[in-house]
Amino acid sequence: MECLQKTKKKVLMKGNYAIANAAVMAGCECYFGYPITPQSEIGEFMSGKMQELKRAYVSAESELAAINMVIGACSTGAKAMTSSSSCAVSLMQEAISYASADELPIVLVSVMRGGPGLGNIYPSQGDYNQAVIGGGNGDYQTIVLAPSTVQECVDLTYKAFYLAHKYKNPTILLADGLLGQMMEPVEFTEYPYPEIDNSSWALSGAKGRNGRIIRSYAPLAENQCVFLNKLYGKYKQIEENETEWEEIDTEDADIVLISFGSPSRNVKSAMKICRKEGLKVGFLRPITLWPFPSKRIAELSKKVKMFLDIEVNMGQMLKDVKLAVNGAVPVEFFNRPVGNPPEVDDIVNKIREIMK
Amino acid sequence: MAVQTFKLPKSLKEGAKFSFCPGCDHGVAVRILAEVLDELGLTENTITATSIGCSVTIYDFINVDAIEAPHGRALAEATGIKRARPDKCVFTYQGDGDFASIGIGESLHCALRGENITAICINNTTYGMTGGQLGPTTLLGQKTTTSPTGRNVEYYGYPIKIAEHIALCDGTAYSARVSLDTVANIKKAKQAIKKAFEIQMKGLGFTFIEILSTCPTNWKMTPEQAHDRVRNQMMEVFKPGVYKDITAEKTV
Repeated sequence: MECLQKTKKKVLMKGNYAIANAAVMAGCECYFGYPITPQSEIGEFMSGKMQELKRAYVSAESELAAINMVIGACSTGAKAMTSSSSCAVSLMQEAISYASADELPIVLVSVMRGGPGLGNIYPSQGDYNQAVIGGGNGDYQTIVLAPSTVQECVDLTYKAFYLAHKYKNPTILLADGLLGQMMEPVEFTEYPYPEIDNSSWALSGAKGRNGRIIRSYAPLAENQCVFLNKLYGKYKQIEENETEWEEIDTEDADIVLISFGSPSRNVKSAMKICRKEGLKVGFLRPITLWPFPSKRIAELSKKVKMFLDIEVNMGQMLKDVKLAVNGAVPVEFFNRPVGNPPEVDDIVNKIREIMK
Repeated sequence: MAVQTFKLPKSLKEGAKFSFCPGCDHGVAVRILAEVLDELGLTENTITATSIGCSVTIYDFINVDAIEAPHGRALAEATGIKRARPDKCVFTYQGDGDFASIGIGESLHCALRGENITAICINNTTYGMTGGQLGPTTLLGQKTTTSPTGRNVEYYGYPIKIAEHIALCDGTAYSARVSLDTVANIKKAKQAIKKAFEIQMKGLGFTFIEILSTCPTNWKMTPEQAHDRVRNQMMEVFKPGVYKDITAEKTV
């Protein structure tokens, strides 16, 4: 697969290749990975491309090793990433906790498949909790970006590197098997963000200064209190500056549909059909799953009659929606446990049913 | 006229006080490592990935850039560092549990890839910081808090001979086992560490030194008894020597 530089016109590309290509364009210096369906094309693409560009590539012996290699590379200030899926991202939770405590800009592309356990290789949104809440120990928070199109896979890959380095915070691009495997027209711009200066903290050898230590070990409780308050101050900043969502026709809406990732496209189509029928339906798609657009949803809950949350899981984002709505109006739920998104017709029927 | 005969290595942090137990060999190991970094002029060009256990405290004593890896992952993080910055000197300082139990996958694969990294493994046949449990190098018959009647094969299997295993990896350029029980052996250990760093900086492959060390606290011995144990029991199983050195003249 050829690596595309800045494109003049749209090209047809598979989501996984688009993510990998975007990472190369974003200046990713190091890729470390271990294969797992449905994201293996990312590692395949990177293996050839990174060697060609004389950048770092390692076929790691495990996901544990892969993400810790990313930590090592990031500790030197390098742009580094890994990619994986569901049950294998489970293996990375320890390192994500460490990287959060170390405040390192690791980038993880997580292409969701069915779970729990080995599950299957169908698309899924079953790892909303894994990405947003996380399975590592301690108080920490990752930034989570959720693309809904292959083009957005590209744009948010750029953004993932930027936000990770801007805030020195682990950042997850949360795609799903559908996005990873499908082809869509995309274009590549140049990396649109400024480069972040890492020289004040990156490990480079203690030349003319004392050795720097990137550590999470805090033997004294009081030191840990100071650190956690500082860390949560950073999270507050991220919430204020970086919360992103797409919103359509909520002005006069009686009901607002909430959905993220690839299924949100069917939800949007369903909304348009309902609008034609005269139903006052609005649409809100969180693009950052953390920070979550809670404030906006809370505002909307003061003027709409209800929300309908639609996911391909058993209701994970639903809890965040309910927290934001805080009992002001009902929050209905429609789902498919795993696999392709709910059909547009089924969503339309559900909307008609609850709006009766 | 007074002559200064003892000087702290420059690579040691000023005023640093070792927090190791009396009679523990960690202090000696850290000291000779610092001397080697001084002698090779590597201090300002070095990044270390530390481990978990007593060995993690190395960043409190040696004045180099450091990152603290999760348990067993030091050589994965070291790989990331070295691949991102190939001109840096990169080493890990790990215990036997970190290197050869929880981290054996990372350790073997780092050696197999022939990463230009130096790994130092302190083998004291027990998990020291957590209070002396059975580890991967605990000797047969050795009593620990989790082998109260001594290590038997039925329940615990066999201890691992780390330096020999690492020597078998094609990416390994140097693998040696040393001890710190006598002045002569401390000098040999320092030479081995120096050799390993020299080979790393020539880019010839993975370099490894296993250091037989004491843990008087958990062995419930005096420092003297502990060094006797290194000589009389550990060296019987873990024989000191150079197991691989690709720079040595071939002798058949």
